[in-house]
Amino acid sequence: MARKIVVVGGGAAGIGAAGAAKATDPDAEVVVYTEFEDVGYSPCGIPFVHGKEIPTFEQLFLATKQTYVDSGIDIRYETRIDAIDVSGKTVTVAGGELVTYDALIVATGFHYEDPGIPGSDLEDLHYIKNIRRAMEWDPVLDAAKVAVVVEASPIGLEMTTALAHRGIETHLVDPRPWAMADVADPDIMQPVEESWAELGVKMHWNTQVEAFLGEGGKVRAVKTSGGELPADVVVVCTHKRPENRLAREAGLKIGPTGGLIVDERMATSATDVFAAGDCTELPHNVTRVPVQGLSGSHAYSQGKVAGTSAAGGDRIYEAVNVPWGMVAGKWMIGGVSFGETTATALKIPFVMGVADGISRARYYPDVKKVRVKLLAEPGSLRLLGAQMVGGEGIKERADFLAMCVKKGVTLTDLAFMENVYSPAIGALNEPIALAAQKGLAASKAGG
Amino acid sequence: MPFFEWMRANSERYLLEAAQRDMARKYLDRPGPPPRRGGMAFLWRNVFTPIYRLLPWSLRRAIIQAMPGSHRRTWTGRAPPGRSA
Repeated sequence: MARKIVVVGGGAAGIGAAGAAKATDPDAEVVVYTEFEDVGYSPCGIPFVHGKEIPTFEQLFLATKQTYVDSGIDIRYETRIDAIDVSGKTVTVAGGELVTYDALIVATGFHYEDPGIPGSDLEDLHYIKNIRRAMEWDPVLDAAKVAVVVEASPIGLEMTTALAHRGIETHLVDPRPWAMADVADPDIMQPVEESWAELGVKMHWNTQVEAFLGEGGKVRAVKTSGGELPADVVVVCTHKRPENRLAREAGLKIGPTGGLIVDERMATSATDVFAAGDCTELPHNVTRVPVQGLSGSHAYSQGKVAGTSAAGGDRIYEAVNVPWGMVAGKWMIGGVSFGETTATALKIPFVMGVADGISRARYYPDVKKVRVKLLAEPGSLRLLGAQMVGGEGIKERADFLAMCVKKGVTLTDLAFMENVYSPAIGALNEPIALAAQKGLAASKAGG
Repeated sequence: MPFFEWMRANSERYLLEAAQRDMARKYLDRPGPPPRRGGMAFLWRNVFTPIYRLLPWSLRRAIIQAMPGSHRRTWTGRAPPGRSA
């Protein structure tokens, strides 16, 4: 009899899991339940359509509904799961239908942290998550003159840049002293702030949002600790929290981040129940501290492992080094593992090297600045983390440095690395090597 | 909120805020986040954070590793800092 694999959630993790399960066991019956109208699109692309860099939302779809039918994956759209019974191995579909499973994959994703202030229930506060809501909301931006973005999280940065590109007077409000301050370092973010100022963005740092003001469901202003900001539109970009109501009620073990506890096979605390994506927590490879709320590529890869495991295959996911990168203002920013702010918060001992280099030969058109900041373990000089800001080549450097962290590469290795030199695509001196040389010098000087 | 989630959320918040104050002063010549009000906030900021910062990294690392979570299950990866292979 065919193995029945049920997936709860149709985001990157859920769809990755369904595809991997079917590939591992082509005879398996794979059923995906999603409460939304669509699967198989890139939610990460939504800000770029709002910013008019991408002309239409349709371009964000990766596959049609027929694609999944053809590949034998049964997707139940707009169908909510109300309960999971791990001992009876069933899920309850909204309306009461009981569905049995041989293996279950929980991929319920995230929700935005509730701002928990008066006016949070106003209907037209906008959250970036669902493509249909984004399609409905986008025309509102044509008439909007002033926008307020609440919190400079990664999605907040992208929306700030998008709204500014759209010619809307954009206010960014955050209780911290600089953008993405829980992850990125202030010297990395400073060029971004300068470019936002050039785009007309008004930044309100160290500023608490105290209430959303409006009537009849319509927001008209945001009350902050620095005064009232009139607003035609408000985008709430608070932290992503694991969506684990179902899992909690089912008795699955939850970790200190609020994410589901899993192992390297993405197995949860219950037999034949796996989990993947933003609803889980993973150990950070360097600190071993559990982390949660990573990128779409992490969710998709975890889904692949969960799906393979659920179908009886053998595949593992490893502790995460967290390469990241994005466009903010006129710059690309990125990094791997952690930066100086996190190391300072956790009081992890480190030596640091920072260098300003260039992306191409200094005389070649469109040469861009690249700042690289490396943190290494004192003594062994193994790379602990990195952060970067530059005009190009940030994503590739973040991917490379993530592999360096994973493999225990040292500042000495990087200081004398071989690098591509070709005037149109790479400078004589690689900025990573320059930063590593500064780190070595700092280490010799005693820190 | 269960105890370990409460512990993680608060320790992360107050340690980060303390670091952000240091970093804002160092790089931006800006103040840090305004201090939260209330007795618990006072304890986290003025008792927990300074004590955490005084402990040696080896002890802090041991406490972090002792917390429940995914890191306590089977995972492939490198040794944490200060414990090189």
